[in-house]
Amino acid sequence: MRVANKYIFESIKYNLGSISEELSKANEIATTGKRINSLSDDPVGLTQSLNIRSNLASIEQMGRNISYGNSWLTTSESALTSVKNIISDTKVLCIQMANATIGPEQRSSAAETVQNMLDEIVSLGNTDVAGNYIFAGSKTDTIPFDQDGNYYGDSNAFTIKIGKNSTIEIGSAGDAVFGSVLNTLSDLKDALQNNDVDDIQNAMDNLDGHFDDITAKISDVGSKMNRMEIKDKIYQDFDFTNTERLSKIEDADIAEAIMNVKAAELTYQAALASSSKVMTLTLMDYL
Amino acid sequence: MSGIGMILNIAATALNAQQNGIGVTAHNIANVNTEGYSRQRAVLDARQPGLYGGLVMGRGVEVETVSQYSDKLIENRLMQEESNMSSASEMEKYMQVMEGLFNENSDTGISTMLSDFWNGWYDISNNPSGASERILLYEHSSLITEQFNTLASDLNQIETDLTNAVSTGLGEINDITNEIAHLNDQIVGMEASGSANDLKDKRNTLVSELNEYLDIKSFEQSNGSLTIVSAKGCTLVQGGSNYELEMGGTNGDRVIWQNSSGSDVDVTNYISNGKLGGWLDTRDEVVAKYQLDLDALAKEFTWSVNKQHSQGVGLEGFSSVTGSYQATDTSAALNSTGLGFADKIVDGDFRVCLYDSNGNYDSDAILAIDADLTTIDGIATAINGIDGGTNISATVVDDKLQISSANGYTFAFSDDNSNVLAALGINTFFIGSDAAGMAVNDVIGLNKNNIAAAQIGSDGAMASGNNANALAVTDLQNTALSISQSTCDRINGNTQGSITSTIEGYYHSMVGSIGIASASVSRDRSFSELMVNELSNIRDSISAVSLDEEMTNLIAYQHAYAAAAKLISVSDEMLKTLLEVK
Repeated sequence: MRVANKYIFESIKYNLGSISEELSKANEIATTGKRINSLSDDPVGLTQSLNIRSNLASIEQMGRNISYGNSWLTTSESALTSVKNIISDTKVLCIQMANATIGPEQRSSAAETVQNMLDEIVSLGNTDVAGNYIFAGSKTDTIPFDQDGNYYGDSNAFTIKIGKNSTIEIGSAGDAVFGSVLNTLSDLKDALQNNDVDDIQNAMDNLDGHFDDITAKISDVGSKMNRMEIKDKIYQDFDFTNTERLSKIEDADIAEAIMNVKAAELTYQAALASSSKVMTLTLMDYL
Repeated sequence: MSGIGMILNIAATALNAQQNGIGVTAHNIANVNTEGYSRQRAVLDARQPGLYGGLVMGRGVEVETVSQYSDKLIENRLMQEESNMSSASEMEKYMQVMEGLFNENSDTGISTMLSDFWNGWYDISNNPSGASERILLYEHSSLITEQFNTLASDLNQIETDLTNAVSTGLGEINDITNEIAHLNDQIVGMEASGSANDLKDKRNTLVSELNEYLDIKSFEQSNGSLTIVSAKGCTLVQGGSNYELEMGGTNGDRVIWQNSSGSDVDVTNYISNGKLGGWLDTRDEVVAKYQLDLDALAKEFTWSVNKQHSQGVGLEGFSSVTGSYQATDTSAALNSTGLGFADKIVDGDFRVCLYDSNGNYDSDAILAIDADLTTIDGIATAINGIDGGTNISATVVDDKLQISSANGYTFAFSDDNSNVLAALGINTFFIGSDAAGMAVNDVIGLNKNNIAAAQIGSDGAMASGNNANALAVTDLQNTALSISQSTCDRINGNTQGSITSTIEGYYHSMVGSIGIASASVSRDRSFSELMVNELSNIRDSISAVSLDEEMTNLIAYQHAYAAAAKLISVSDEMLKTLLEVK
């Protein structure tokens, strides 16, 4: 082929241009450590990485929801455990007071103790987490029980989400949990004041039922906490695998990136060296 | 006398011819770096022989013509490819700007903001009565609407920039066609008496400049004048006159060509190559598509959040609320009332609950909606009829429904299965229905307690810890919606389909498709560049000047010239010899 002067210079320009473009691309990957530096570098990978990022943000939120739920459930567990202890203390008191050797004065003073226990249960029923009453159903800003044990909450247990399609009740409707206990204790108090052994006996029987109910409720809370713990572990795994996938999609293989820079650099140097030779050749030097 | 005189004559033709040869060589050397220059050659020819004393004798040399080395086929292919390349490289430039707009690698992209938005609703569902959660959700929501607004205005800006580029381009095109028309006149004049190689070269350079702007076809007439036609066969240059392209159309953004009878022809969609083609492709196919898609996303996002939000109630009832969407005719049936979301209204009903001055539930009313019959005026009348306008009343202001309560009463809504509240913009989270107009409802901006995290129970009671509506909003994050998606094509027009996707999924695939479009434009550009380079090489190997070759020619001509001069001195000596004979 006939080689014109313009061809020599144009092809040097074009080749140096494309090699330096390659060099700068390789350098960008090596210096940012990222394989995708603009949308067009890998649109499919980019879409995946955006989806993964959204997943990661949701996982983080679920982690927050779980720890928030846990704070309610732990508080709820300790309140219920206290109620359970009060019930068993009351049971012990009942057994003593049902004894025929006990006189009316002793029973009357035991009524005082029962009143204290009543007060204690009311205050446990009014337990809150950061100002939100956990036994008020969904009326979390309303004190659920007054001194007399009247309930002001509602029957919708407070529920949060711990997954796309998974909700969990972390609060409770207080009257379902405490209402009957309060009634029984109130009856017991009256019975003690009225020195009515039959009614004391009745209250004692009821307390057995309440003890079982509260125990069941505690184990329910425990199993919820367990469920949350498992969820949390799953999310941690998700978080790990998603982060790993993200890194695989977005991050450059540094060794490979540096090799590419070296290779592009070498090509560039070779092109510069040969171009500078070719450019200076002319017949005129020999005429 | 015939002999020596003839030698002198031959020597004279030789001197002349070689000198011309050197002249052409000099011209070639001088134009070694001239863009588009085709090397020339003095075509030497032996002169017609003559009869001398019965012998046929040669009569020397003459320059028959000065011809050009060029291959029309290659030149045409090259022009076409150059046109493609300038189209692709202009598109590439603007695609890089688009990529920058939708760059989601930073934490300030819509994708991150969407995550923050949904997470904000989760936080509210965890603590519905918390003030800081409400403020945070409001801030995240404002950011996201502002980002939608910014993207919309940035896309508009690109559209305007492109229209300006086209307009400037037309100015250049008209200058070039004007100059080509002038050259045509000169060339026709010169060709009558000889060749006009250099003017033709100049014209060729202009043609390839013109070709960078738009795809053209050119034909050389027998008299040497060049006719240039472009898109849709519109003639740009014919003989000594050129026909200008102008901006026109209703928005002044179309390319208009005036034909010989003076009527306007819109050729915008027929310009497919060159910078102009690239700009128009980017503007009318790429930018236009993403404007439509972004609007579709903003619309569906606004609607789905509003629809759910309007089912709920905040921490307190309203004492007055005005719809954010304006109707065109409040006495028309709802589905033809000119509301942006009129098509979403279906037959059904909604519930209004009244609360007394202590915030206690007072009463409720169920209002029935028939999409084909009920009017906005009718809804106002129905609300006025709830208690005879004593504690709650409604009126139509600026074609928007306004509901107010009196005597310290407040009101709230629930169970709207007709979508009418969301379509009127009552108790909604967002206002607007496209990317540019989207914003958080002022009703929420001014009082964050109006964020409807709760739903009213069947007993009409409001509970601060009720998070039913907030949980329902978080469900939307994973709900697949049918969102319209456009395909813009300058020749076949725009078509609208729809895909079923989550809000985030739609946005992510939109960003991905911008990346794909940009990558494919880059590939086109580098392919065209390679083609142009290859074809240029072929063209240059035929037409461009080689200095080595010219130096060789120069020496050849110089030697020939010296030899011819020698002929003269030899003839001179021969004459002298003759004259000295006595």
